Amino acid sequence: MAGSKCTRLSGALVKQVLDGVDSVLFDCDGVIWRGDTAVPGASEVVNLLKKHGKKVFFVTNNSSKTRKLYAHKMHRMGFDVTAEDVFGTAYCSAMYLKTVANFKGKVYLIGSNALKQELEDVGIRQTGVGPDHISGGQSDWANVPLDPEVKAVVVGFDEHFSYMKVNRAMQYLNDPSCLFVATNTDTRLPLEGGKAVPGTGCLVHAVEMAAQRQAHKVGKPNGFMVDCVAQQFGLDRSRCMMVGDRLDTDIMLGTNCGLTTLLTLTGVNTLADAQAHHASGCPERQKMVPDFYVESIADLLPALQG
Amino acid sequence: MDGAVGGLKGCLKVRGSQIRHLLEAKDTFLFDCDGVLWHGEKAVPGAPGVVNTLIGRGKRVFFVTNNSTRPRENYVHKFYRLGFTDVRREQIFSSSYCSAVYLRDVARVRGQVFVIGGKGIRDELREAGVPFLQEEEQERRLDVDGQPQPDATIFNCDLSADVKAVLVGHDDQFTFLKLAKASCYLKDPDCLFLATDNDPWHPLKDGRILPGSGCLTAALEVATGRKATVIGKPSRFMFECISSQFSGVDPAQCLMVGDRLETDMLFGSNCGLDTMLTLTGVSQMEDAEVYSKSERSTEQSFVPDYVVDSIADFLPAFEELD
Repeated sequence: MAGSKCTRLSGALVKQVLDGVDSVLFDCDGVIWRGDTAVPGASEVVNLLKKHGKKVFFVTNNSSKTRKLYAHKMHRMGFDVTAEDVFGTAYCSAMYLKTVANFKGKVYLIGSNALKQELEDVGIRQTGVGPDHISGGQSDWANVPLDPEVKAVVVGFDEHFSYMKVNRAMQYLNDPSCLFVATNTDTRLPLEGGKAVPGTGCLVHAVEMAAQRQAHKVGKPNGFMVDCVAQQFGLDRSRCMMVGDRLDTDIMLGTNCGLTTLLTLTGVNTLADAQAHHASGCPERQKMVPDFYVESIADLLPALQG
Repeated sequence: MDGAVGGLKGCLKVRGSQIRHLLEAKDTFLFDCDGVLWHGEKAVPGAPGVVNTLIGRGKRVFFVTNNSTRPRENYVHKFYRLGFTDVRREQIFSSSYCSAVYLRDVARVRGQVFVIGGKGIRDELREAGVPFLQEEEQERRLDVDGQPQPDATIFNCDLSADVKAVLVGHDDQFTFLKLAKASCYLKDPDCLFLATDNDPWHPLKDGRILPGSGCLTAALEVATGRKATVIGKPSRFMFECISSQFSGVDPAQCLMVGDRLETDMLFGSNCGLDTMLTLTGVSQMEDAEVYSKSERSTEQSFVPDYVVDSIADFLPAFEELD
């Protein structure tokens, strides 16, 4: 595999590659489903991989669901999984605060109910979820009462994002000892039918700009989520494959962690995108070139069924 | 008027006769407002006298502000309230006014503008005759429990077919829904993307700060992968606006006075004007000195030619002229 890149994974090569792999990490949006519709054949692929004795995990930057909700969604679609197989950024952000930052204190949270739930499940208190409309005048906003127990600002996907939330976060982050954590920086959140809404990256960037500080990012391409999997289940990175649709998160993550990387073309990036990175002389861009690609993960079926 | 001393550009603290020299050499003075002329509702002591005197002596005086939150009409009242008695609307160039001028005269937009901003921007657009989408109830279509109604979510919102430009300014009513709508409109590469200014934060009079339009613009730039055309300082457009409305404005005869190195001084530098930093606002002398030692030419452009503690330092110079 050394030296060759962007190879189409088909025919006999599929079995050869799968034989060299004990664990498979799947991204979700654009890989196993699009919005609320499963990618055809995806559930069979996942279930067969497990039958063949492979460990299968799901690694998603989408912070809008808890791992339980993800598992529930997957069951509905015929995937044979448990919540423990799922590593979303809501869960991993909570884990980061608990196990890496040893966080004790309250979080000012710009995020979803899911992120709130995952934090509560590890015993971290938070404030701020839901709508936060502005009232009063400018001096009121600058003097919003700050909860003295808040020692971290966490930003995830939040459909109730507002100016007032940027303001509160900025006021808390004025204290350099206040932690600043972001779930991820994806620019788009994919929806059904090729539609997308602005992603968490937009919200994080707005807060970073106001606060003139950079957030610590938990999600892909940062390797923390892989560390999470490894810590709980053990992982031989030399026998692990990352399957994703985004070159700048999934494939970059795989490369950074020494995993075999497989790009599927059912999501954000195209083969042309990958080839452009490959042709560039830039070392950073080379990290976004996958080892292999498939049109869809259903392309793995013949080898698994045979 | 060469402010450089021994090769080191600028940062020349001036007073007395040096200011008198400047007053004689320049016929046009451009002032930023917040932190230069006033802090909130309180004039910088001496500032009204300086401005009134300059105008009284026949100097051209313009006010160049990135603050898009109020229409020019309100600024006229504020000037008067704070003792700047001779300021006329035509002298005021705010980023909201200039955005409207840009849309009407430069972009000549045919169609509507989707506005992320407040009354200050809307009033200027209305006055300039630039059509824009009205503040919609669906932005706030919430039920009694404060939950968004199904048809007004970010995932499923009405879009107008006639939008040809998106204008982002200071918007304390900014929501995810607006961000989502604006990104939809901006998918069309022919839809203009304008920002009143890029300031990431604004200072209030008591030293606290508030998020600026720069944050909202940044969010939209990330969402769309596009860069906004910025109307306000440090972009040149507001100076071009002034030059197009007043004949005979010569950059060499101008002095730009501001309090923010990265906007006011860079603006002055971009337009070929001499620049003066007043220390009554955001930037400090130390900040200017750090930039003056920088090897990056962009940061060198932040360095002011002259520095005063306050524009009130002009007052003794007027007396000397008499």
